[in-house]
Formats: sequence, structure tokens, C-alpha cells
Amino acid sequence: MFKIKNLSVKVNGKDVLKNVSLEIEEGEVHALLGPNASGKSTLTYSIMGFPEYEIVHGKILFEGKDITQLPIEERAKLGIALAFQNPPAVKGVKLSHLLKRISKQPLDMNYFSADNNLLEREINVGFSGGEKKLSEIMQILSLKPKLAIFDEIDAGLDIINLEKLMWIIQDKLTRSGVSLLLITHRGNILQFLEPDVAHVILHGEIVCSSRNWRKTWRTILRFGYEKCRECKERELCSN
Amino acid sequence: MKNVENAKSASYVQINHEIRSIFAKEGVILLSSPEAYETLEWTRKYFSQKPIEGYFIWVKKTVEHPISTCFTISSQEVYQNPTNLVVVDKGVVAEIYSICNAAKPILNAEHKGYSKVILKENSMLKMKHFHNWGKNDHVLSSIEFILEKGAKLSSFYKCLNPPKKFEVESKTTLDDESSADFETAVLAKNGEIEMYDSLFLNGENSSGMIKLRMISDENSKISSHSKIVAKGYGKGHIDCMGLLLSESSFISSIPELVNANKNAVLTHEAAIGKISEEELNYLRSRGLSKDEAVNLIVTGFLGEASA
Repeated sequence: MFKIKNLSVKVNGKDVLKNVSLEIEEGEVHALLGPNASGKSTLTYSIMGFPEYEIVHGKILFEGKDITQLPIEERAKLGIALAFQNPPAVKGVKLSHLLKRISKQPLDMNYFSADNNLLEREINVGFSGGEKKLSEIMQILSLKPKLAIFDEIDAGLDIINLEKLMWIIQDKLTRSGVSLLLITHRGNILQFLEPDVAHVILHGEIVCSSRNWRKTWRTILRFGYEKCRECKERELCSN
Repeated sequence: MKNVENAKSASYVQINHEIRSIFAKEGVILLSSPEAYETLEWTRKYFSQKPIEGYFIWVKKTVEHPISTCFTISSQEVYQNPTNLVVVDKGVVAEIYSICNAAKPILNAEHKGYSKVILKENSMLKMKHFHNWGKNDHVLSSIEFILEKGAKLSSFYKCLNPPKKFEVESKTTLDDESSADFETAVLAKNGEIEMYDSLFLNGENSSGMIKLRMISDENSKISSHSKIVAKGYGKGHIDCMGLLLSESSFISSIPELVNANKNAVLTHEAAIGKISEEELNYLRSRGLSKDEAVNLIVTGFLGEASA
């Protein structure tokens, strides 16, 4: 349902992504692993169509439609939603106001009963790391996406809040057949959501895509990300 | 002129130069300014000259419903020149909603309004003033507030459909323990807005705040001059924010703080800029078009998206 074919992206004239390809089927959970500055966030912003990410080569297809040149909002309307790692503050606009504007389905407040006050605050203004993540997940759920991308949803979260978010993602997204692309540094999220495929990105290239995420994760833990490049050659993480 | 007996609140409506309705409620004296000048001799000290048109509101008792006033221009090239006087008696709490507008987009109208508002000791006034004009109109709105000891003023002033030229002046003097908060939101488009606001903290322990939200759209210019002068001990703050929506937008914001009392604290903050791409992209990623995202940010900036 979602396919990236040989995507190369420049940011400020600099090559960041090189020939990236990946394919996510309906209901699949994919993890994208990689060290800092490997191109993970560039890939997510390119998928969403942010103008400063210049696609120099390749295609992005969603449900068979070429969306490579579509504006951001059209991609969102088709059903792609991104939970930002560092969402910007939108002063003067309450979260509840935005949710009202964008909502395609009512929010199940059972999950957020302790976070009611968040709705009455201005979006991301003075939010803690955990509150930002909660706000992002509320927006994603309201959008009723077909593909949800989580850019380091686990960053800066304590274990209690991380578990809470994982439960919500599992209950409200994966069980409903929503495809997921998780960008992460941590093992907890992988253990919880058990991705169908784990990709490793290094210096803007996907060097490994494996259906055995545990093996990939073990390799990374033992030898570091760089090993995955060799690992691909040695077929340690192969399908 | 007719009285609307069943209305809940006192009100004054003038269209062009004709008073369409004037209604005084118990506890509120509401007259035309010329009539007040003729019949209530004490009011003369507040009028610089005999008024031609306008209203006089004397709130003698706290009233439940807001008092409303409306000046409308509905015909071509009308020049309204109202002089208004509002007096809120000692200890009284009042609310006034005012509208000044043009009924049609192109009337080439002119409206010059002069108002004086006296808040007697320990009185409290909440004032909301909305302007709505056509693109060729010229408007001047000048208002003077005099706050006696312990009086409290909250003023909300807004113009999102601006005239071609809009001049706004306010001068406020504050006695001991009084406070005045001004919140002003203006949008300029194909025209010019000039604002002069000054607050004089004359009494001890008085406080004042000027909060300006300015949006300059295409072919427009906004200049604001905000001044707080502290003679007595007090606190004053100026908060000016400007948003430029077009390449042909211009905003100038000049805050001035004059402190003649070593125990007074006067501060200001100001920021003028365009909408950040990051915010726009964020909202677009939620399915809003660029225009919808801009509108949401603008309404947030004006404090309207917090409902």
C-alpha cells in the first residue's frame, strides 16, 4: 500500500538520502533504525512532502497513486499522518480547537482521562516532552490514518508514558489494520510492537531490511550500526 | 428617535446622523451628547466644545446586561463626528459593547469619534469596541480614560475589516490603586493604521498593560506608538506582536517607557515577523490547506482560537 522507489533527496543542496527503497503492506509495522544524522527524519519529512526536502530522484507511491509531487495536506488527506519528534508551538491555538478542525473520528478519551488539561492548552506551548508525544498521538488518532509514521515517539519518555503510548498505538492503530513506520533508537518500542520488518539506515542509505527485527537489533547492540553494512554483505540480517 | 422599552440593556444606535434608538435602563442615564451638554451643566467640563452628535452614558448603578452603542454609516460620503462621554459612578460595575461600522464596502465615509470615559472611585468597566469599515473609509478614534482611585478598566479593541486610513489614539491617566488593561487587535489590508497609546501611572500602586496584536496584509502599513509614564509607584508593561502576511506589508512598533519613580517597574516586549514555515507545515500535515493553516495561526495570534 505504500512504496518508496529509489528515492534520493537533497536538503539545502546537500545529498542526504540516496536511492532509498522500502515497501509497507497494509497493517504491517516497519521500524527504521539508524544513528543520529543518518537520514531518518529526512525520510519522514520527504514522505510528508515538506518543501525544503528536494526529491531529485525516485518516487513515493501510496495505494498505487504517485504522491511524489503532492502538497503536504493532500498526502495527509489520503491517510498519511506523521507524529513529529519535535513539534513546533502554535501560539494562541488550543489543542482542542485544532482537534475539532482536523478530526475524522472522535477521540477515545478513556486513554487520555488524565490528560484533559492538555486539550485546553495552546499547542506545544510549554509542553513537556511527554505532553508533546501525547498531543501528537491525539492528533494522529483523530486523523484516522492508513499509514502512521512515528518519528522517535519514544524519545524523552519515561517508561510509564512509553508503555501507555504503546498500548494506545497497539489498540487503536495496529489492531485496526493501520500500517506503521516507527523511527526509533530504542529496543523497548520494538519489543512492544514487534515490527514485521526492520530497516537500518546509514549515511542516507538503507543498508539492511530484515523480517527478523530481533537479529537486526542484536547486531546493532553488539556491534553498532556500522556493522549492518557489512552484515548485509554477510547476509546476517537477510530474510 | 424611539425608545425600545422591552430591551434588556441600555443602548444607543445612530445611523449616519440620525439617532435610531436610544434606551436608558434603570440605573443608566443615556442621552445624546448635545442634550447632555444642554441639560446637565456639570458635563460641560468634560466636553471641550459643544458636541454636534454622539452619546452620553452615565452609569449610576451596577447593571446586569452590557450597555451597547452603535455608529453606522450607510450612505455615500457621510462624515460622522461624534463626541461621547461615559461616566461610571463610584463603586459601580459596568460593561459597554461598542460598534463603529460602515454598512457597505464602498461608501467613502469618514468617522471621527472622540470619547472621554471617567471611572469614579472603585468603579469597574469592561469595554469592548469593534470597528468594521469599508476599504475607502477614513476613521479616527480618539479616547481618553480617566481612572480615579481604585478604578479598574479592561479594554478590548478590535478592527479586522479596516478602513483605508485608521488612526487610533488612547490616553489613560491612573490614580492610586487603579489599573488599566488594554488589548488591541488590528488587521491592515490595502491601507494604513496608526496607533498612539499612552498610559500615565500618576497614582501610587497603579498598574497598566498595553497588549497589541497587529497583522499587516498586502499593501498595508501599521505604525504603533505605545508609551507608559510612571510618576507614582506602579507597574506597567507593553506587549507588541506583529505578523507580516505579505511582501508588501509593513509594521513599525515604537514602545516608550518613561520612569520618574525609582520604585516603579516598566517593561516591554516586542516581536514582528512572518508566520514560520515550520508551523505552517505542521498544520498542513494535519490536512489543512496553506490558507486554512494561515487563518488558524492568525486567529490564534488574535486570541480567537482558544475557544
